[in-house]
Amino acid sequence: MSDSYVIVGDGIAGASAAETLREEAPDAEITVLTDEGESLYNRILIKEYAKGKLPEAPISIHQEDWYDEHDVDLRLNTVVVDIDVENDAVHTHEGETFEYDSLLLAIGGTPQQLPVENADADGIHHFWTFQDARNIKESVEGAEKGVIVGAGLLGIDFAAICGAQDVEAKYLMRGDNWWRYALSEEGAEIMHEAMRERGVEPVFDSGVDRFEVDDDGHVEAAVDPNGERYECDFAGVAIGLNFNTELVEDTPLEIDDGIVVDEFMRTNVDNVYAAGDITSFNDLILGEQAKNGSWGSAKEQGTIAARNMVEYGSEAFEWVSSYSITHFDFPFLSFGHPTLGDDSVEATTAESEWRRVALKDGKVVGGVLIGDLSPQSAFKQLMREGRDVSDQKDRLMEPGFSVDDLAAPTEQ
Amino acid sequence: MSLRDTGRQVRLRRTGRVPSDARVRHYDELDDDEQGVVRELAGEPWTAPETGDLGDGDVVKFTEYYLVRSR
Ligand SMILES: Cc1cc2nc3c(=O)[nH]c(=O)nc-3n(C[C@H](O)[C@H](O)[C@H](O)COP(=O)(O)OP(=O)(O)OC[C@H]3O[C@@H](n4cnc5c(N)ncnc54)[C@H](O)[C@@H]3O)c2cc1C
Repeated sequence: MSDSYVIVGDGIAGASAAETLREEAPDAEITVLTDEGESLYNRILIKEYAKGKLPEAPISIHQEDWYDEHDVDLRLNTVVVDIDVENDAVHTHEGETFEYDSLLLAIGGTPQQLPVENADADGIHHFWTFQDARNIKESVEGAEKGVIVGAGLLGIDFAAICGAQDVEAKYLMRGDNWWRYALSEEGAEIMHEAMRERGVEPVFDSGVDRFEVDDDGHVEAAVDPNGERYECDFAGVAIGLNFNTELVEDTPLEIDDGIVVDEFMRTNVDNVYAAGDITSFNDLILGEQAKNGSWGSAKEQGTIAARNMVEYGSEAFEWVSSYSITHFDFPFLSFGHPTLGDDSVEATTAESEWRRVALKDGKVVGGVLIGDLSPQSAFKQLMREGRDVSDQKDRLMEPGFSVDDLAAPTEQ
Repeated sequence: MSLRDTGRQVRLRRTGRVPSDARVRHYDELDDDEQGVVRELAGEPWTAPETGDLGDGDVVKFTEYYLVRSR
């Protein structure tokens, strides 16, 4: 009898696992269950659709015939509500049961709502699915004034959407700069300036205390904790994700800010694996449990999980993730874990070019590059090699930095 | 390793309209070598050896949309 694999989630982690399983186990039964109404699409391009820059078609990655061609049983609009690890089965909201020899949970996260009055009013949007992008596009095209909340990587997508769709917006931030956990004021100011050029005004030491709605229940203003009122007919909220761990809460699977897996993507239950945003994984480069929230990492985790589902121990996940922002006329890239570390070094390397590298125990653990991305490969290499650079940190800030610029590592 | 010697050279041309049937990739989907080529060629009139599976007619979203030409 051939093995049967069930994958929950048809995002990039689940889909790349299905693809790899089909290659590595040609006779296996593969079932993919997703609660979305469409098969794999490019989640990192849906913002371009909402900006009005990209038509729908190129955003689709797997048409439904891909699943037929690869003999993968795809079930759309199928919500998994229970996992029975004792009996190797998952149950769906629709009352179906799928049994498995090996299970992959690639279930990602769901955007958090602001815990304030009227947070679910019409015109207030969160951003995760293609359907969200369609709703955002429609709403923003008819809007004049916007409010954005959430000073991180997804919030800035809302800022770019407002900018591209000529919506005058206020970007309400809690601290005194955008993504304050990874950037200093100096670096963030380059981003603030780019927002202003697009008609999006950052407002610091702000946030949302409540939304006000009109008689039809449509948002008409956000009021910040200082009592300032910002009129809006569109609001974008991106304050973080809730990882979809609810599904495994009543199972023996270990949870710690995600589903805990080892470097082979296996959970504490031998035939259950997880991949993508949902995992808290053993990061061999960082030397501790970590989370990644990026496309490349989710894709790689799906591939690695599949290989280990076929043969446990065959390949470990060892990856430096990165995430870029390409909305402005200069590029931005964060890599590794830029918000971690016990030390950092930063510099403005030229006009509108800035970089910051985070270090832990003298080793690079992440960073941010603005304007000049050329050292990205060198920094990733240093991370992979675990090189101690504590006595030559300043060299990391030199324009055109390459690993060869560092003194050779001394024998320990 | 994605570097392959096809003998072809790629060039990136800025493009305003993206056709519905184009294969569009975001910078973050590309591997290290492909990203290097995009950084080097974006906005420049230069060519570089073809790398990975960045092929003729593909569109890459970097700071602009770029059409890949491979000859
Ligand atoms: C707007 C936006 C912009 C982004 N931009 C970038 C970027 O520029 N660069 C970058 O690297 N990353 C970016 N990301 C992050 C990146 O898209 C994610 O890290 C990646 O897609 C995660 O993939 P995943 O497969 O782990 O999870 P997901 O893509 O979230 O897939 C999980 C799937 O599981 C389904 N699911 C969950 N629970 C169940 C259930 N109980 N039953 C059935 N199905 C279920 C969900 O509906 C979903 O389809 C962006 C994300 C968003 C939303």
